Amino acid sequence: MPEIREEVLKDDIFSIRDIIDSQLETSDGVRIGRVADIEIERHADGTLHLSALLVGPQALAARLSPELRTLAHWLFRDRFDHRITLDDVESFGPTLRLRRRAEDYPIGQSERWIAKYLLRWLPGSGY
Amino acid sequence: MKKWFSIALGIVTATGGFLDAGTIATAGESGAKFGLGLIWAVIIATAAIILLVEMVGRFTAVSKKPYAAAIRENFGFRFFLAPLICEIIAESLMLAAELGGVAIALSLLTGISWHYLFPVAALLVFAMAWRAPFDWIENGPAILGLVTLSFIAGIIALGGLPHDTLPTLWRPPVKSGDLADYLYLVAATLGSTISPYLLYFYSSGAHEEGWSGSSLLLNRVTAFLGMGFGSMGSIAIIVLGAIVLRPLNISGSTLGEVGLPMAKAFGVIGTTLFAVALFATCFGAALEVVLGVSYLIAQGFGWEWSENKKPVEAARFNLTLILFLLVAVLIGLRGTDPLQLALLASTVIALELPVALFPFLVLMNDPQYLGDKINGRWTNIAIIVILLLACIVALISLPLEILSGGG
Repeated sequence: MPEIREEVLKDDIFSIRDIIDSQLETSDGVRIGRVADIEIERHADGTLHLSALLVGPQALAARLSPELRTLAHWLFRDRFDHRITLDDVESFGPTLRLRRRAEDYPIGQSERWIAKYLLRWLPGSGY
Repeated sequence: MKKWFSIALGIVTATGGFLDAGTIATAGESGAKFGLGLIWAVIIATAAIILLVEMVGRFTAVSKKPYAAAIRENFGFRFFLAPLICEIIAESLMLAAELGGVAIALSLLTGISWHYLFPVAALLVFAMAWRAPFDWIENGPAILGLVTLSFIAGIIALGGLPHDTLPTLWRPPVKSGDLADYLYLVAATLGSTISPYLLYFYSSGAHEEGWSGSSLLLNRVTAFLGMGFGSMGSIAIIVLGAIVLRPLNISGSTLGEVGLPMAKAFGVIGTTLFAVALFATCFGAALEVVLGVSYLIAQGFGWEWSENKKPVEAARFNLTLILFLLVAVLIGLRGTDPLQLALLASTVIALELPVALFPFLVLMNDPQYLGDKINGRWTNIAIIVILLLACIVALISLPLEILSGGG
């Protein structure tokens, strides 16, 4: 999205550069990931609006190259990529605070899967 | 009172944490082959690591951000991949070397072949990284690491430096066929001392301990005195090699050979002291490497991370840690001598230093993160010169060393 400048955002305190790669933290203080990319909508009056944050391996691969985007899509089939709508963001800044708790988001599901199926078998895992 | 205690502890930690398989390998071989001719490289590298550790502590104390998180946020994902990939390659070699060092130390103490003890070493490191709280990891091996001070006692017991050795300090005895070897050791000395993993580890530690602007004095004192004292251990090993190994034409190319001078100085007790020092330094360093890289990955991808949490509460971080240890075990099981592996890893690190640390210098000059605590101009210049020197020497010597068959 090289042609989208920061002034198109409704609130010009934040630039796209500030949002992409930011830490996502849930309301119960769990770090669940980083913003991989953003989704922009074009409104009828021609203005562009930030509509959602994207998280996941495909969004990251797409930032590296178009070939990797295709490969990642073939590999992951949208299973690990998720959207967060802007209503879900409580506060912006170096860390984006989300409104809901960690278990309400599918983004950290790998964390729970690893804990449940792998780490719990090791002594002292605290599961 | 509590403040002075934590300063003292910080110094002990840094002193004990300075040495690792890489520094012992390079120092031992340096002394055996070139007398005191590589002490200059240790001094330059120490200056660089003092500056860098002070910077990374200041960065985290002021910005409240660990270094790896700041790389991703400031430079973006694409750029983040460069230091990430370099670090994974270089540090998996280094971790295998550190585990090998632990295994050889255990083998010197028990008489069992180090090949069998290698998985034991990995298991010990895993157990500590898995459940120990952060301050154990930081202080435990470090306090044991103070045994390295016995190396200085060893020099005294051996009667100090013979007169004819001293001139090698400024006139390194490099014969025409040895130049590649000499340069390789210069690169390895720089790479083993200026360890990027230490920065990720130190910065995450400062974050775990909740440093703030008032921690800057503690940070500065720890960096200067700790790293300064630490380098004495490295120089002591060079001197021991120069006194005992060089006259006997022993090249110091295995850890057993590097330990010989201590055996000559104190007999069986000397061997034990060397083994304990080797165990403590390599064990501490293995923990720092495995955690440093896991911190880098977890913070870069925004996962939950902390040594003070239960493993399941930071599952991806802990899984990374396990996988990284497994990779190192696979490398180690090929049976390469840990000391040669440490030399190779150190040179590879020297090669990647500009990539690993250039983003750091940019961040250290960004008032957004540091306010008025940004770097001074001369600090910047000094670090850039040292990093470029390390990279160029590694670039020249690595191909030469590989062509000549290594070691």
